Amino acid sequence: MPFLAVTVVAVAAFLPLVVTSSYILSVGVTMFLYLVAAMSLNVIYGLLGLLSLAHIAFWGIGGYFTVIAVMDLGLSFWVALPLAGLFAGVVSIAVGFPALRLNRHSFVVVTLIFALLTTLVARDWVSLTRGPMGIPGIPSPYFFGHEIAGAYSFYYLAGAFALVSLLLLYLFFTSRIADTMRAINQSEDLARSQGVNPTAYKLLAFFLSAFFTAMAGGILAFNQRVIDPLIFDFFFMQAFLIMVIVGGRGSFVGVLVAGAVMSILPEVLRFSVDLRMVLYGLALLAFVTWAPNGLAGWIRERREERLRSELRQ
Amino acid sequence: MNSATPLLEVEGLRKSFAGVHAVDNMSFSVAHNTITGVIGPNGSGKSTTIDCISGFQRPNAGRIRLDGRDITRLTPQKIAKAGLIRTFQTVHIYEAMTLRENLLQAARPFQASGWVADFLRLPGMRREVDAAMVRADELVDMIGLRKYYDAPTRILSYGQKKLVALAAGLMPKPRLLVLDEPVAGVNPTRIREIEEVILNLHAAGESFIIVEHNVEFVMRLCERVIVFVGGSKMTEGDPKSVQQDARVLEAYLGIPA
Repeated sequence: MPFLAVTVVAVAAFLPLVVTSSYILSVGVTMFLYLVAAMSLNVIYGLLGLLSLAHIAFWGIGGYFTVIAVMDLGLSFWVALPLAGLFAGVVSIAVGFPALRLNRHSFVVVTLIFALLTTLVARDWVSLTRGPMGIPGIPSPYFFGHEIAGAYSFYYLAGAFALVSLLLLYLFFTSRIADTMRAINQSEDLARSQGVNPTAYKLLAFFLSAFFTAMAGGILAFNQRVIDPLIFDFFFMQAFLIMVIVGGRGSFVGVLVAGAVMSILPEVLRFSVDLRMVLYGLALLAFVTWAPNGLAGWIRERREERLRSELRQ
Repeated sequence: MNSATPLLEVEGLRKSFAGVHAVDNMSFSVAHNTITGVIGPNGSGKSTTIDCISGFQRPNAGRIRLDGRDITRLTPQKIAKAGLIRTFQTVHIYEAMTLRENLLQAARPFQASGWVADFLRLPGMRREVDAAMVRADELVDMIGLRKYYDAPTRILSYGQKKLVALAAGLMPKPRLLVLDEPVAGVNPTRIREIEEVILNLHAAGESFIIVEHNVEFVMRLCERVIVFVGGSKMTEGDPKSVQQDARVLEAYLGIPA
């Protein structure tokens, strides 16, 4: 496993030296950012089973915060980006505190309403966000005097960001903190009876999911060089959700693989412009039918079946 | 710990649902190092009392003290941390986790290291895991399920799951373990095993409250038996005297005195 991981990272790192197509590199940029966003959704939705539709809001808030901090406040991109993460994290605590007092179903509704409200703010607070026209002309970040512009350098920026974020998230997913979250997801009453305070874990999960997603959204905005309310488009939310569900909720490796495949698949399917979305839909249907618990769930079920028959003997 | 203070003291407990008193003027106490049985017909307030004691329901009136400390309005997690652990009538275990993970998870809230130590795998956290592993090893042998140690508990039978819940409750060495119907739906051979486990732990100093419909099980195990009827304590005593109490027979078995 570590060998495979190092190989994948090495191949990804040397890819731009071989592939010069900026189209392929920009697919890579998107994939890196989607991976981080999907994996952070996997913290709150996968580990705790709390479907947060506010994820799209944090993605957009991160984008707007970074852009406004750089363009209006004159902050450096490298300061603005982590600040955007922290800002979204603080917002997530403010929203999560009341929303997490409710049951799971109400939580979904409250996060959806929050996502819709942020879209409204982005569209209507014209003096801050310039409304539906968006903010064009986002300047390039500079890295030690080197301008980051174009697919090639953004490939490395987004790639490095994804590498660091995913490493941290991997440490998190394999920690005892994540185990306690899985426990809360399986039986909150049992966890409480054992001395766990579920609210603290839920707030932490919500914070982490907002923190990483916001930074990914910030990089996306600088890559696009323009930000408008379309960053709150439900397309993104649906893409992240599909990655988590197809990969298997709560599984790090599953969502990593599904995230990569689901980022690349729609592009590969471009050979047939008419059937592209039909094929994508068919692939999804196949998964929902035959592997409702995702990639990781399917593998786990096979393993359990084997274990059962072994133990019977 | 002062041995004159009872381990658990319930005083004037009342819990009503929409005007109906499920528990009313309930008072009883439990001494250190004992196995206390609670019996009573359906609707006598056993489950509601457990829920109030463990913080899952808020009583309308009354006081609950654990080893002298007032725990009346604490949350379930704080009561657990104070040393009172309960199990559930319907089996509650982490079905997607292995038996080992279930036991280690049960010990987790009682360990000192926080999120940072967990995230960075600091040495203090590793020592805690090792210590919990030793305890888990003892308990898994005691419940006789070592064969299934690394299997997801989902594949276990109902009786085996009850044993896992029992072992998980014992992981943090609670001052008092409240077992809600530990043998309901468990086959007779397995019941004998559970009895033995509880007796061994009692010999090692553990205290239990056992709420059970299986009267023979309670009579064999417990030194003291408390009888609930209609939401309050009717009587208590050693198993023999309770069994011969005419009022108990009437309330429990419907035999007129």
